[in-house]
Amino acid sequence: MPLLELHGLSAAYGAVEALKGLSLHVGEGEIVALLGSNGAGKSTTLRTISGLMKPKSGRVLFDGKDIGGLHPESVVRLGVAHVPEGRRVFPGLTVKENIMLGASNRPGVSRRELEAGVEEMFELFPDIRRFSGALGWTLSGGQQQMVAVARGLMSKPRLLLLDEPSLGLAPLIVQQVFRIIARIRERGTTVLLVEQNARTALSVADRGYVLETGRLIIEGKPDALWNNEEVRAAYLGGRVTAGV
Amino acid sequence: MAIFLQLLFTGIGIGAVYSLVALGFVLIYRATNVVNFAQGEFAMLGAYAMVVLTQDLGLPYWAAIPISLAVMGLIGALFNLGVYYPLRHRSFLPVVISTIGASILLTNSVLVGYGPAPESLAGMFDFPGIQIGEVFLDSQYLLIIVVTILLVAFQYFFFEHTLLGKKMQATSQDKEMASLLGIPVARMIMLTFIYSAILGGLAGILVAPILFVSVGLGSQVALKAFAASIIGGFGDVTGAIVGGLSLGVIETFGAAYISVPYKDAFAFLVLFGFLLIRPQGIFGEKVAQKA
Ligand SMILES: Nc1ncnc2c1ncn2[C@@H]1O[C@H](COP(=O)(O)OP(=O)(O)O)[C@@H](O)[C@H]1O
Ligand SMILES: [Mg+2]
Repeated sequence: MPLLELHGLSAAYGAVEALKGLSLHVGEGEIVALLGSNGAGKSTTLRTISGLMKPKSGRVLFDGKDIGGLHPESVVRLGVAHVPEGRRVFPGLTVKENIMLGASNRPGVSRRELEAGVEEMFELFPDIRRFSGALGWTLSGGQQQMVAVARGLMSKPRLLLLDEPSLGLAPLIVQQVFRIIARIRERGTTVLLVEQNARTALSVADRGYVLETGRLIIEGKPDALWNNEEVRAAYLGGRVTAGV
Repeated sequence: MAIFLQLLFTGIGIGAVYSLVALGFVLIYRATNVVNFAQGEFAMLGAYAMVVLTQDLGLPYWAAIPISLAVMGLIGALFNLGVYYPLRHRSFLPVVISTIGASILLTNSVLVGYGPAPESLAGMFDFPGIQIGEVFLDSQYLLIIVVTILLVAFQYFFFEHTLLGKKMQATSQDKEMASLLGIPVARMIMLTFIYSAILGGLAGILVAPILFVSVGLGSQVALKAFAASIIGGFGDVTGAIVGGLSLGVIETFGAAYISVPYKDAFAFLVLFGFLLIRPQGIFGEKVAQKA
């Protein structure tokens, strides 16, 4: 049984239908890339999984249980962490406080466990350790991204939803973020990765889905998606010379 | 010099009351992004709760104060449920209008019960105060200052050093993100309303023996507190305290050295000055736009 299954999922912002009967699945231990151009419905998919939006129809099965329409606070307690688009680091809290609050889904977690968790995150993201006491708004985009991911991991999720982690980052930082994503999976966390940067996403993913205007266009292995000239030209923004 | 110190003491005392009400404004504003125009009525209700408990029911102060504060907490919770919560997904204006409506309702309910004639409350201590040289420190003003210092210290500790305080800060900075982390946002906002109502009520309880207790007490204090929070920098906790204290001192000195009848005008002159020259207030907007 897959860890996450979407069945005919539809969602709308008022009259704007952003998802139109999307079905996909993510197996335990996989990294799955969700690709597509701007406005395709990628963020809406993640928002509907994490409870920020209610599905109009269709089902969201997590570990076999229908979580569609639950509050975000309940969804994260079940083990789904959503690192949203734009990172959303709390600007007036320090890096350490931001990361600590990631454990807010775990009831009765002790101060010592929190400290240990933060320490573990600083080992995973050594670059942000020296900013421990810096306020969120003072960080660079790459640092904020690492804080946002570390904060997401503090909930000890089984499934991590990452929305455009490479957005606005320098190429070198992007490489670093994707190496971390690979390590997150090695630690046993399943990842659903939303990206416009298809090439980099496919380089770490086991499988990929391509969306357009709320519908699934194609799914497949990274090579198959990337080597399909039509798909690449139309949805992945790839040049013919680029390889995986 | 003695007169100067005497006025400074009085100004700080009355300014502390403005600070407490201003803190309530700021906390609710930060948690909900809405200005609660009934914040002054919390002070009025706190004062009337003392009238009911000490004069109508004859309870001693030491029993009446905690009961009044508990009642204020309950009023804060009901206020959240009735005035804010049903409109929480709406824009700024409907919620603000709802708080104005609540303010009118509360004022007129008290008017029905107690009429327009002001009540007066005895001081909380039997001893009048302390004479230091030529300066007389009135016991009620001393109490106000000490309680305000303790509250500010408590609040600093709470928001900076407890996990619950951090969760409340996170809620006020980004509610959607807070809920994604599993922070119970509705409960955090509920706590904010309860605490703000207690702060407002406490201001009313403390100031009741100094001013007359009337239904106008709320708007009288709230206008000053509102001016204080703008002067301090709306949304800033330190600003609310500094703004409240400055306003209390300015109007006291203005009344003593310039004109007593225009006492209330000084607060608004200072406010106009700030709105013209430094609209963001003393501590306004230190957090830059997000990168
Ligand atoms: N808050 C919103 N209100 C109205 N429409 C929205 C909102 N957010 C997204 N949309 C619309 O929903 C569609 C999908 O958006 P989104 O899921 O953000 O796409 P993606 O993440 O793939 O770029 C787009 O047509 C977008 O314009
Ligand atoms: Mg998006």
